[in-house]
Amino acid sequence: MSEIEIRNLSKSFDNHKVLDDISLNIEKGDIYGVLGLSGAGKSTLVRCINGLETFDEGEILYRGETLCSPSVKISRAHQRKIAMIFQSFNLLQQRTVLKNVQLPLELDSSLVEERKEILLQQLQEEKSQITDVNLRKEVEKKYKEKIKNIKKDLALEALDKVGLLDKANQYPSQLSGGQCQRVAIARALVLKPEVILSDEATSALDPETTLSILDLLKELNKSLGLTIIMISHQMNAIEYICNKVAIIDKAKIIEEGNISDVFLAPKAEISKSLIYANHVHTKLSNHRLVRILFDGDVDEPLLSNVVQDCQITVSIVYADTKVVDNKAYGQTIIKRPKDEKDAEKLFKYLSLKGVRYEEVEQ
Amino acid sequence: MSAADILKATYETVWMVLISTALAYLVGLPLGVLLHVTGKTGIHKNRPLNFILGIIVNFLRSVPCLILTVLLIPLNRFIVGRGSGQWYTMIIPLFVSSFAYVARIVEQSLADVDAGEVEAVRSLGASDWQIISKVIIPEAKPSLLMGFAVTLVNIIGYTSFAYNIGAGGLIANIWSFYTRHTGDFLTQASFWILIIVVVVLVQLIQEFGLYLAKKLDKRKKVK
Repeated sequence: MSEIEIRNLSKSFDNHKVLDDISLNIEKGDIYGVLGLSGAGKSTLVRCINGLETFDEGEILYRGETLCSPSVKISRAHQRKIAMIFQSFNLLQQRTVLKNVQLPLELDSSLVEERKEILLQQLQEEKSQITDVNLRKEVEKKYKEKIKNIKKDLALEALDKVGLLDKANQYPSQLSGGQCQRVAIARALVLKPEVILSDEATSALDPETTLSILDLLKELNKSLGLTIIMISHQMNAIEYICNKVAIIDKAKIIEEGNISDVFLAPKAEISKSLIYANHVHTKLSNHRLVRILFDGDVDEPLLSNVVQDCQITVSIVYADTKVVDNKAYGQTIIKRPKDEKDAEKLFKYLSLKGVRYEEVEQ
Repeated sequence: MSAADILKATYETVWMVLISTALAYLVGLPLGVLLHVTGKTGIHKNRPLNFILGIIVNFLRSVPCLILTVLLIPLNRFIVGRGSGQWYTMIIPLFVSSFAYVARIVEQSLADVDAGEVEAVRSLGASDWQIISKVIIPEAKPSLLMGFAVTLVNIIGYTSFAYNIGAGGLIANIWSFYTRHTGDFLTQASFWILIIVVVVLVQLIQEFGLYLAKKLDKRKKVK
């Protein structure tokens, strides 16, 4: 059963489709990336999942039961299971870090009540073992204190998970962007959610801080079994932590699957432009170019062999290797041989070796 | 004028302003919240209600306080026991002519609250009331305080109409002093003392409001 299942979701705004028949399956423990240019509809899509946006058709399921649909509003209990973090952190500026993290507990008291029940039970048990009246009173006092501090303790627990215990009494304005996002993550964690929605959570951060936040999310995914749905227009961020990805363009999902599959062999033009973005300035070159794709299976010095075996020269315009999902892959872009025969030779050779290639459109 | 007269006038002004401002906020604050919440950027958009509230507020704001002081004499008789002649007969006219103003000032302050903060708290499952009480009002606190100071000063200005119903106070006294000494009021000490008391009062309110707003604002503090 999928953790989150989106079924045929559509949404229009002023007769304009912003989401068109979207279906996705997100399994428990996935870090699911949703990649797209701004305005593609990805932000609207995550906002549908936690009820910040309504939609016209379709249904979203959580562990097999309806989470929300055009006729069903998301329940409080479900909302608690799905937390969200934002690009601009959205912390309350007039509250301390601790009070910010405590806020969800003020809004939804169920977790605090649960804790209280457990503590009261423990108190009864301890009391039954003590005969001395004064000792009993002392134990009672201890538990009273504990019950009073439930909210604070839960908030401190969450702050500990993001490594910001020492900032509890500061205000958001006193923190850096990365620290603010950590506080926002703590706020998201405090109600013990199962799913975290991240809406461009690292887009406002510098590259180094971005990595540290992504590392934190990955760690939480592992240690708490959190499912993460991550919206981004940054290929790098998605590539860094996601195991699955969907590419969304003009309200539609145009590609989805395991990240290595999609990133190695993007089919649609828009996927290519997103995935190969900031890679090659093909337009600057007057030559026709060929992109050779490595998917981790090629183990030989391919280009040297091309030179030797085909007796042609190659000039490399660009090369890049990445590790995605523990699999090395990369691309090398070379100039297309000017001589047609040489080009044919090259293509035949590559096909023979089972290496994928394509001519780069200019 | 004797020192006792000036003291009495100060006392009258302070009390009529404080009580009417308190009443104006009692009505104006919820009204301002309602205006904001039902408005275009609000969390519970309701165009018809917002439109109607807007018309009422605009209407009340466009009726001059001068007219109200006279029009409300019968109501005064009914509520405070007399229509004119005492400082407390000014409370209702001041209240009626300022709560709509307060509503607009409050609405303005609330509009500055970051929409992202509201959305984040909504994503946590907060109800409208929780968003208002836990986000919108606390986050707007510094701005609300500044608005409060501006309102107080504004209502001090309105107290001049106390002259029409003989309700006293500093500004009405300045006016009546002027009418009695049109030729030489500029050379009279009493006139200047009255003016200075008003100026000091306004300064105190404005500066104290600014100080409090700054002190309570956690946004711009540096490490």
